[in-house]
Amino acid sequence: MIRAHGLTKRYGGKRPKTAVDDLTFEVRPGTVTGFLGPNGAGKSTTMRMLLGLDAPTAGRCTVGGRAYTAHSAPLTQVGALLEARSIHPGRSAYHHLMALAHTHGIPASRVRDVLDTTGLTDVAGRRVKGFSLGMGQRLGIAAALLGDPGTLILDEPVNGLDPEGVLWIRNLLKAQAAEGRTVLVSSHLMSEMAVTADHLIIIGRGRLLADTTVERFVRDSGTGSVKVVSPAAAHLSELLAGPAVTITSDTPGTLDVRGTDAEHIGRTAAAHAIPLFELTPQTASLEQAFMDLTHDSVEYVTSGPSLAGAAA
Amino acid sequence: MTTTDTTAAAPSQPYRLTPAGILRSEWHKLWTLRTTWITLLTATALVLAVGITMGSTYDGDDSEVDTVVFVLFGTQLSQICLAVLGILVTAGEYATGMIRASLTAVPRRLPVLWSKAAVFTAVAFTLSLVTNVVTFLVAQIWLGGTDKELALTDPGVLGALTGSAAAITLLSLIALGLGALLRSVPGGIGAFVGAVLVLPEVLTTLPLDAVDTAVKYFPAQASSSLGSITRVENTIAPGAGLLSLALWAAAILTTAALLLRRRDV
Repeated sequence: MIRAHGLTKRYGGKRPKTAVDDLTFEVRPGTVTGFLGPNGAGKSTTMRMLLGLDAPTAGRCTVGGRAYTAHSAPLTQVGALLEARSIHPGRSAYHHLMALAHTHGIPASRVRDVLDTTGLTDVAGRRVKGFSLGMGQRLGIAAALLGDPGTLILDEPVNGLDPEGVLWIRNLLKAQAAEGRTVLVSSHLMSEMAVTADHLIIIGRGRLLADTTVERFVRDSGTGSVKVVSPAAAHLSELLAGPAVTITSDTPGTLDVRGTDAEHIGRTAAAHAIPLFELTPQTASLEQAFMDLTHDSVEYVTSGPSLAGAAA
Repeated sequence: MTTTDTTAAAPSQPYRLTPAGILRSEWHKLWTLRTTWITLLTATALVLAVGITMGSTYDGDDSEVDTVVFVLFGTQLSQICLAVLGILVTAGEYATGMIRASLTAVPRRLPVLWSKAAVFTAVAFTLSLVTNVVTFLVAQIWLGGTDKELALTDPGVLGALTGSAAAITLLSLIALGLGALLRSVPGGIGAFVGAVLVLPEVLTTLPLDAVDTAVKYFPAQASSSLGSITRVENTIAPGAGLLSLALWAAAILTTAALLLRRRDV
């Protein structure tokens, strides 16, 4: 369990910049919680405050019921992967982990275990200097798992990972949550969180924008559309028409249906013996909803044709 | 709520953050970097090489220099190596970001600084003492029969060799503290060379007696009171020198500790 209450961080003297602004949230065990926001939204700062690396200007946060710094065996409470590299490049992967392990009396066998889990056994003796971004991330995750912690706090863990690595992280996070651990994982990619997380905490410019489940976020965003391809598209369109339903069609035989779900469309089609070639809920709309939500709080807005328009 | 608050998922573990564990960690960190080996070997080689050169080329010309000071001229060079290592031990972690991993493992922070200082002090002092004794003995191979012939057991010799090692160690510990304070390797080296080595020399050019007296208690000047059999001209007593050095090191480490507790990483 992670709790933040009125968490605030301001930097700078004369013209202070507020990185995190009165943030209150809870992260529950047993689920993967996605921590989302555009770049510069305050995700990393919040995570550093949870780990006691940055002191909050106001408010407080606890992990497992206490301030992180108050734990007697912090590595067994929280495993953390920070966005900024926190590894000495001159040390080998094994010795990096061993140096951290010594602080808590964690044995070398456990170090070998996490090297194995993260697929680094073969390169354990090599200096981190020669590691790719993905290998560096794996080593960071190995360090996070070292103390077999009840809580994982991972800042942009999929950064620099290849597709296989992304899938591995996704499964790892889900498995950790399924074992009853608290998992908080940040990302600026809604699409990644949609398939990894159960719960979402979305911030923009340091403020809480949404604290909800992925399911509810999709439903409430109201932009979920379903793509339907059918030889009898026109007929189906008439059958589906209703006050809450909007149907558009860019190409003949293809419908973009909003206001109802794939199940209803499928049943309607079946009841009228209309063949369907394709029936696809559009997940891209999730990214759309995320952008709509955070649009006002992005740090650097591009001019020109808006992404929102292009995606819709 | 309190029941769900405990992280019940993790099985009860024997792992615990302990002072001994943090010391071991810092010991491990020190020896698993190549720069440590390079700087320590270079420091030792320089003292030995200069000592052998001084001994083998000595032609008995009535130099007034104390024998221990004479054979340990190389410590002027090894001092720089060990100071740089001290700075790397602390500031190096900021340069690489390792400090974030270190302080996540030890969120109370201060034990990391104390352990770094303790491990570094033990290693630097032991190595300097052994190097000094060996260099003295090797140089004596050539110095036998000259006015600089001395045995290890002669009065004051062991004290001077130990004093030299203590001075080198404490000066390097000040460098370690500066590294922790400034969190930058170039900054630490600049501050050490500028404030500890050069600034006092500049100050002594001022025509003020009070300044001259004060400068004698500065780290580099206090350190030259140690490491000789007979008292070197223009220095304070060895006891006062050792005390000054220790106080300087303590003051800088304390300042570094106060900032370490307060600053964001």
